Amino acid sequence: MSRPISSDKTARDLHRLDTDGAEGSGPIVGGRHGKHDALPLMSGIDRYTDDITLPRMLHCKLVRSPHAHAKIIAIDTSGAEALEGVHAVVIGSEMPIPYGVIPWTPDEHALALHKVRFVGDPVAAVAAVSEEVAIEACRRIVVRYEVLEALVTPQAALARADLKIHEDNRHGNITKHVHLEFGDVDAALAAAALVVEGDYQFHGSTHAPIEPHCAIASVDGKGLLTVWSATQVPHYLQRELAKVLELPMRQIRVIQPAVGGAFGGKSEPFALEFCVAKLAFKTGRPVKCLYTREEVFLAHRGRHPFDMHYRTAFAADGKILAIDAKSLLDGGAYSSFGLVTTYYSGQLLGAPYRFPTYRFDSTRVYTNKPACGPKRGHGSVQPRFALEVQLDKASRTLGLDPIELRRRNFIGENSVTINGFHIGSNGFLQCLEAVVQASGWAEKWGKLPRGHGIGVAGSCYISGTNYCIYPTELPQSAVQMCLDRSGRVRVFAGTSEIGQGSTTMLAAIAAQELGVELDDVRVLAADSDLCPVDLGAYSSRITLMAGNACLTAARTLGDKIRDILAQLWGIPAADIRLEHRRAFSLTNPQVWMPIQEAFIITESKLGLLGSTGSYTSPQSAVHGDYRGGTIGASPAYSFTAHIAQVQVDEDTGEVTIEHIWCAHDCGHAINPVLVEGQIEGSVYMGAAEAVMEHHDTLPSGLRTDGRRRDSGPGVDGLLMASSLLDYRMPTSLDVPQLTALIVQAPDPRGPYGAKEAGEGPLHSAIPAIANAVFDAVGVRIDNLPISPEKVLRGLRNQAGRKPC
Amino acid sequence: MLRLPPFDVHLPDELGAALALLAKHGRQARPMQGGTDLVPNLKLGQTKLEHAVLLAGIDELHGIELDDGELRLGAATGLNALAQDPQVQAHLPALAFAASRIASPQIRSMGTLGGNLCLDTRCRYINQSELWRQALGGCLKSHGRECHVVPGGQGCVAALSSDTAPVLIAYGACVHIAGWQDSALVRRHIALADLYDSDGVRHLRLADAEIVTAVRVPLPSANVHVGYRKWAVRKSIDFPLISVALRLERSDTGSLLAGLLVVSVLGPRPRVIDLKALAGRTIDADLAKALGQMAFDRCRPLPNVPYDADYRRERLAVEVRRLCTEMLNL
Amino acid sequence: MTETAPVDSTFLDTTAAEPTRARRLVICRLQVNGEGVAVVAPVHWTLLELLRYQLGLIGSKQGCDKGDCGACTVLLDGKPTLSCITLAVAVQGRCVETVEGLGVGGEPHPLQREFAERGAAQCGFCTPGVLMSAAAYLDELSSSAEPVVRQADIAAALGGNLCRCTGYTKIFEAVHAAATQILQRSKALADTSTDDAS
Repeated sequence: MSRPISSDKTARDLHRLDTDGAEGSGPIVGGRHGKHDALPLMSGIDRYTDDITLPRMLHCKLVRSPHAHAKIIAIDTSGAEALEGVHAVVIGSEMPIPYGVIPWTPDEHALALHKVRFVGDPVAAVAAVSEEVAIEACRRIVVRYEVLEALVTPQAALARADLKIHEDNRHGNITKHVHLEFGDVDAALAAAALVVEGDYQFHGSTHAPIEPHCAIASVDGKGLLTVWSATQVPHYLQRELAKVLELPMRQIRVIQPAVGGAFGGKSEPFALEFCVAKLAFKTGRPVKCLYTREEVFLAHRGRHPFDMHYRTAFAADGKILAIDAKSLLDGGAYSSFGLVTTYYSGQLLGAPYRFPTYRFDSTRVYTNKPACGPKRGHGSVQPRFALEVQLDKASRTLGLDPIELRRRNFIGENSVTINGFHIGSNGFLQCLEAVVQASGWAEKWGKLPRGHGIGVAGSCYISGTNYCIYPTELPQSAVQMCLDRSGRVRVFAGTSEIGQGSTTMLAAIAAQELGVELDDVRVLAADSDLCPVDLGAYSSRITLMAGNACLTAARTLGDKIRDILAQLWGIPAADIRLEHRRAFSLTNPQVWMPIQEAFIITESKLGLLGSTGSYTSPQSAVHGDYRGGTIGASPAYSFTAHIAQVQVDEDTGEVTIEHIWCAHDCGHAINPVLVEGQIEGSVYMGAAEAVMEHHDTLPSGLRTDGRRRDSGPGVDGLLMASSLLDYRMPTSLDVPQLTALIVQAPDPRGPYGAKEAGEGPLHSAIPAIANAVFDAVGVRIDNLPISPEKVLRGLRNQAGRKPC
Repeated sequence: MLRLPPFDVHLPDELGAALALLAKHGRQARPMQGGTDLVPNLKLGQTKLEHAVLLAGIDELHGIELDDGELRLGAATGLNALAQDPQVQAHLPALAFAASRIASPQIRSMGTLGGNLCLDTRCRYINQSELWRQALGGCLKSHGRECHVVPGGQGCVAALSSDTAPVLIAYGACVHIAGWQDSALVRRHIALADLYDSDGVRHLRLADAEIVTAVRVPLPSANVHVGYRKWAVRKSIDFPLISVALRLERSDTGSLLAGLLVVSVLGPRPRVIDLKALAGRTIDADLAKALGQMAFDRCRPLPNVPYDADYRRERLAVEVRRLCTEMLNL
Repeated sequence: MTETAPVDSTFLDTTAAEPTRARRLVICRLQVNGEGVAVVAPVHWTLLELLRYQLGLIGSKQGCDKGDCGACTVLLDGKPTLSCITLAVAVQGRCVETVEGLGVGGEPHPLQREFAERGAAQCGFCTPGVLMSAAAYLDELSSSAEPVVRQADIAAALGGNLCRCTGYTKIFEAVHAAATQILQRSKALADTSTDDAS
């Protein structure tokens, strides 16, 4: 067996992984491979939660409030309990301990305790022999309410401090207020050559994964509770179940089966998980709850609507001197991740541009609507829209190409943001260059015929956060790894595969380091009995954190194998390479053996080949030294640039997005196919919320008497679109052409230099589209979504034309 | 998931048997073709029934035939079949086009012409879940007493969203109806435009035991042109938010002899505007503009279906103008 | 013919819920993936309920409840059909193909292989439905006189299947690749048979 191997490949450069594979085989890390788990999922073999049926399983349905804001006076469950086929009913008082994904703001109950706070707030749950019987039983539960005035706009919620949605909240309906100031903003504003000032409204949108939430609980007679759930945070689910059910965590096993999309919509516990657990204890039988599509819309936790006022100051050369931002966040009925959202609304704006002074003031309020939370690009998509539109306005006023304006303000790599975040690698300029080249920007910007336009925007996102959402010094991610005599690698990880590819990523790292093929790696993930803790699939943390843990575990095992082979072959361990099912000497091609044999020899010398790896993020010199200065700080930051090309129909106001080019700096693409997929999916989702999607409630005035009106539109807080027919997400015929461009600025903190790719590429899609609309017809839409009637109104105002 | 409430299902293979079943169960029974409209409505609890009478097994309802200068389209003709049928494409191209633009490929392979003509009316206040309607307190079409679209309104204004109805009205189609009286099958036929009533709760002028069996369309002469356009937010899946069909009869000199403008998704029935006021005018860009203006002046979309009603009105004018412009070169 | 015993007891005592309302169990006889089956189900059940909860064919998914998303798409006599709004009794005697029947003899269908290799399935939940619509497109393509693989036709064929992960880009690529492969294969076959004839 011979193959040419150059000796200079011995040094494994952390960032420039050697991609020279064995004969006929490409590289694993960095190579274009399919998704590891795709085939069994798409063939009806691997199971999502609702695909699981347990013996004697009961079905659970929830009773939900028809009022946006009301006191619960009494609940009569006798009618349901009398129905044949009903095994148990549970109400809020049986689970009185409040919970919340953020431990500082536990303001939710599994089922509403004394009050309901939005239309759809769950108040009771039934377990019955079938969904049909459970539905009928729910109809027979009588809840008496005292209806209260509903507060559905954040302005009303602010104004009515006397009418608290949560009675024990300290400051009226304000769930969080953050005010941070860096440098003398007012002086910078006063001295600026140009101040761009404006109001921006960012509307609500929701995740709408195609799989609805589903959970199953089973108890084993000895008190062990097992919960299967379509969640993206099995660890937080286990913690909150323990809290609400008053069980030790060791008595709870959480298994996350395959998840059919999440995007942040499954990143905290929901009523169904507590209810099936409680009902499983009450009945002694397994219980399943599958949300209807409407219930998915009610569970929500989608993008917060933001009302923003921004002032950005510029020097005559286009340099940003100050940003002064004020935001009002419409939080909905519960806190959810809101504390973090409120910080993120300002904290994540500090790159890719440098600016010497910064102030942000963000207020999140409760309203009587489904709770908002983290949707892909949590908390930072909205401010990014305002800023990037302001940069576009400034470039027009200053007569600068908007690309050039962004270049001039580039913060650079190994830099520190105004709010104290330490940026490592930074490929933003390469991203800009990539989209400029791919789109033909120079020939298009300002040069396309009227009705056609092109726009640019840039952004930055985090690769996980430095701190867990509960105080701990424990690792944020960990992996156990085991090799066996069959030549297989088993990876046990708490990671949540939600379609983003975390399982493939772990398999690639293990295969790369241990010299096996991708299919030789079994990743057993997200089972709290089998796997070490990982915090979950949120804030784009898994590749960096679990990837590093996996790399450590794999390298530990790889070193053991090399050590044993080095003794056997009498060559230095550094001369030995494990690749594509072979162990071999780099310098002497005659010296090699199959990897399975290498595993067997090593195991026979050392005993079972197991290892662990864990990841704890850097805790010093990475964030700001002030209250809140740690929130939003990340081990590594990703960068993105978008260029969008649009066509605006001047008769109808309709915007057709023709093409979006997105370049994303993911550090190092462990699997370029999957990185492209994340970019394309993000851009699609951003474009969809820019022009089409809206998680909106019925238009209505405020009720002052707490009673229903005799006539007039709607009831407060009622969702306009709670089906996939009315909530319009783009079909295959509505999607623009998407070009995903991978930029790699390896970061020393990422595995092989890798950073995130799942959320960053959404952000600047939206302002790029808004800026392109302006380029096309000279109309600025500062309140999203960019709907045809707003564009048409803008065109009318511009031309003074009359309708028709 | 949303489950269907229990009901019984009948699969008659004869028209008489189907009608007898419908007659026997009265308002408790409904005919069902592809089910693409009725099943979702049943799942949402907005329609209730005890007996579904499936019509797919009745031979008489199938088939497309050319007969005596008319095209006879069986009510059970699939929407895809309609769109792809060579005779329909040759003689009624606007119908084939309209059928090809309905909802999605799956809906078109399941849905039928009869079902599309007899679609229930839609409104943002009724096509919702039970919880939603409970929260709202119902409306004229559900269990309530007030209209949320027209405050104080006494009549339901839910809209017809059929893509085939406006274009078939423009073609001058008539519908053949079979009913059941005194244990006997009775037949009648009416102009398609007369099938629809202005009450959104009961917008089809059909008795309880009556069904549409076929549509007959006179083959248009060479100087008659029919076109169709619709607007929906998405290019697939969506119901139209405004739709227009236009019939132009052209003289040898290129002027308008007669014509019809049919506007749908306004209310429970399509709005048919006779163009005799414009007779004699040259069919040109100016006429297109005038038609757009006429549609704008005479139609007032309501906030009954999603989207801003004022915008739908402006959009209607543009769609009419563009439709006429498309037809100038025919 | 396989007489399938109920795997899920959900309907057995539902008559208790509303004793006043008529409720019938029927035996649905149909061909599923080439095999005749007879299944007992409540008469008002949908085809999706029958497939998932009676036959254990979990590949067809429930996403929207009412025909808005396409995750439940199966082929009924070769035509893409939303099983979540199709009554099971209405398909008596007809042929249903689900994603479980797409591959042959344990080998994935070319569409499945292309989807897996090209990253066209992310979470995979909408994928079975997308695959069935794509399979219908391939059937139509192969049976057309002058088959040409066009991006616009692919997008139109998938117009009733919502995907939330991919932005459709890689789905288009995968269907395009599988279609091209299948056309090449049938062309090669045709060429061979022409050679044989000559």
